[in-house]
Amino acid sequence: MIKFHIGRTGKILLLFVLFGLLLILFVILSIVYGSVQIPLQDLVNVLLRHGENIVYNKVVWDIRFPRALASVLGGAALAVSGLLLQIFFRNPIVDSYVLGVSSGATLIVAVLMLTGFTLGIGTIPSYLLSAGALVGALAVVLLIVAISCKVKQVVTLLVIGLMIGYICSAVSSILVAFAEKENLHNFVLWTLGSFSGFGWDEVIIQAIAGGVLMVIAYLFCKSLNALLLGENYARSMGVNIRILRIFIVLISSALAALVTAFAGPVAFIGLAAPHLARLTLGTSDNKILIPATIILGALITTLCDFLARITFSPVELPISAVSSLIGAPIVIVLLMKRRTSL
Amino acid sequence: MNVLQAKELAVGYDSRTVVGGINLEALKGQFICLLGPNGSGKSTILRCLAGLLAPLQGSVFLKGNLLYRMEPKELSRTMAVVLTERLSPGLITVFDVAAMGRYPYTDFFGRLSGEDIQKTWEALCLVNAHDLAERYFDELSDGEKQKVLLARALVQEPEVIILDEPTSHLDVKHRLEVMKILRQLTKEKGITVILSLHEIDLALKSCETALLVKNGRILTYGAPEEILSEEMVAELYDIESANFSNYLGGIELRNSGGTRVYVLAGAGSGAPVYRLLNKFNFSVITGVIHENDIDYHVGKALGATVISEKPFEEISAASLNKAVILGQQADCVIDAGCPIGSLNRRNVEIIKQLLARDKIIYCLRSKQEARRLYGADDARLKYFPTIVAMVEKLNARGR
Repeated sequence: MIKFHIGRTGKILLLFVLFGLLLILFVILSIVYGSVQIPLQDLVNVLLRHGENIVYNKVVWDIRFPRALASVLGGAALAVSGLLLQIFFRNPIVDSYVLGVSSGATLIVAVLMLTGFTLGIGTIPSYLLSAGALVGALAVVLLIVAISCKVKQVVTLLVIGLMIGYICSAVSSILVAFAEKENLHNFVLWTLGSFSGFGWDEVIIQAIAGGVLMVIAYLFCKSLNALLLGENYARSMGVNIRILRIFIVLISSALAALVTAFAGPVAFIGLAAPHLARLTLGTSDNKILIPATIILGALITTLCDFLARITFSPVELPISAVSSLIGAPIVIVLLMKRRTSL
Repeated sequence: MNVLQAKELAVGYDSRTVVGGINLEALKGQFICLLGPNGSGKSTILRCLAGLLAPLQGSVFLKGNLLYRMEPKELSRTMAVVLTERLSPGLITVFDVAAMGRYPYTDFFGRLSGEDIQKTWEALCLVNAHDLAERYFDELSDGEKQKVLLARALVQEPEVIILDEPTSHLDVKHRLEVMKILRQLTKEKGITVILSLHEIDLALKSCETALLVKNGRILTYGAPEEILSEEMVAELYDIESANFSNYLGGIELRNSGGTRVYVLAGAGSGAPVYRLLNKFNFSVITGVIHENDIDYHVGKALGATVISEKPFEEISAASLNKAVILGQQADCVIDAGCPIGSLNRRNVEIIKQLLARDKIIYCLRSKQEARRLYGADDARLKYFPTIVAMVEKLNARGR
């Protein structure tokens, strides 16, 4: 009995260490590899600010390091967001964008990018795009929070979220129909998501905001665990369901909005990372699952970003394509091996 | 002092009242059961008593405090629930599900102390689910899940447990096990149990107080022995094709009535014969049977015509004649092989007279016994080793 307990905790610890090491490995890989190869010895020097090679310095500090960190932070944020919503809706096929966050962001970006010329703006600066995406995403979040206070059934909220998503997508597609070819290409690329072009300012914003949100999510793990038994049981044990609902919608959407603002909608991480964490660790206990999801989300995203960059270099693949192509088969295999449902 | 009290309570959703005028007083260690047809509002009442649904009118008091003013933590330490909804909590072990009941006692992060772990084990042992502790909850059968959810409720250390149809979907073994555990809780731990049931017999055999709910009101309220009469049960469930028998503690089905069969029975020899005949839509006439005989109650409950005699009286000439006449009119006569003693010895006369009137008798006795009782060996006595063989023959004849 006790032996079994140690075995289980031991396995979980081991997996955490393994995932951690893999994450570090992938971060190093994505800094080292690329059109300019950086020998490991030089990397150490560059990181310690001893490097004399200006090219190396610039590539590492201005391009690859912030990009790697952005994918670590973005992946973690999307994964936690997906996990919260999967618990909330008690539905395994829910991801971080299910409440329409990405559609709201996409709509504003579409307005900016596709009608920019008519508005008299020449080339649109990236900070404006990020700000626009954030505004679009947060507008949808506020709308959803307002609605979530009114509806009784969580499923209703899910359907409303999907409908808002459809409306935003519909408007975006109308804009697409009238768009000029050149703008359209850029817009489509944006909708596929990318961590390229991240600067330190953006990384710092992501680190602070994302970090705070993820810590808050972890502080709620006791209530989130109670919610695994459903709202009625949770309430009978003393959980304030109203507050918990608003909290989940707010935190999960804010996390998704944060990533979408800078990187565009990155598909699949929010869906796959929680599953991978659950299935590899064999638990739904959020005290373990939240940190595990953070590490796995970061790990998968960093790997996918790396592959997207180098596979057909110099052409960069959309990260959503890579994450779906790699993640989906893994989730399917893990699911087939399990006897129980999610 | 009462633990839970409802005063002029009306429950429902939005502005639609489902059940009104509920007055209920639950004492410490009392076992209270809600009976009523599907959709009568049993669950709604329970949800309201559990504080999961606000009352439309009236109020609920838990140990003298207004339920809806209570702190969630305080409430969850006093009352626990077991609901009907199906759970799939994911990859969570049975132990962890049960341990979630410690929610109102654990710290901010929900860490389990030594005491919490011990309390969880105690509850799992009490419901005989300790062997399941390391399994995933989702892998269990319905019966096992129900026991674990009961353990989870116990882990909350409540004074009141509210259960919504805890025996639905369970097999006989688990159903009895759950009821046994609940009774144990009321008697040994003084926990008040309020539940809804679909099985009238279980309610009759385990609860102290029953609350009959129908058409948006409480029909009646009291000890099941007193209130669960045949008429009340028939009214409660609008049953026309079956009868409830308070003595038997169960339901007997009735049929629309077909070929008339006269059965000579008594001392329990008739019950299985009646039921089998009933299943194949024969209409049963039986007698003469004493009113203290089990066959009398079974026969009455399934709607047979019963020619009866007062308890411990010898069979009167009038009853005997009536039996002979009805036996003569019946399409078929069965001798169920009842024991013959001093008080019912005149029953032998019935068969003798029917034989004399050229009736064919389907007999479940041995040849020697029949010869001894009815005198001469008779070609009109047809012998069958089992009831089933006999009813098969009857059916074949009917076609």
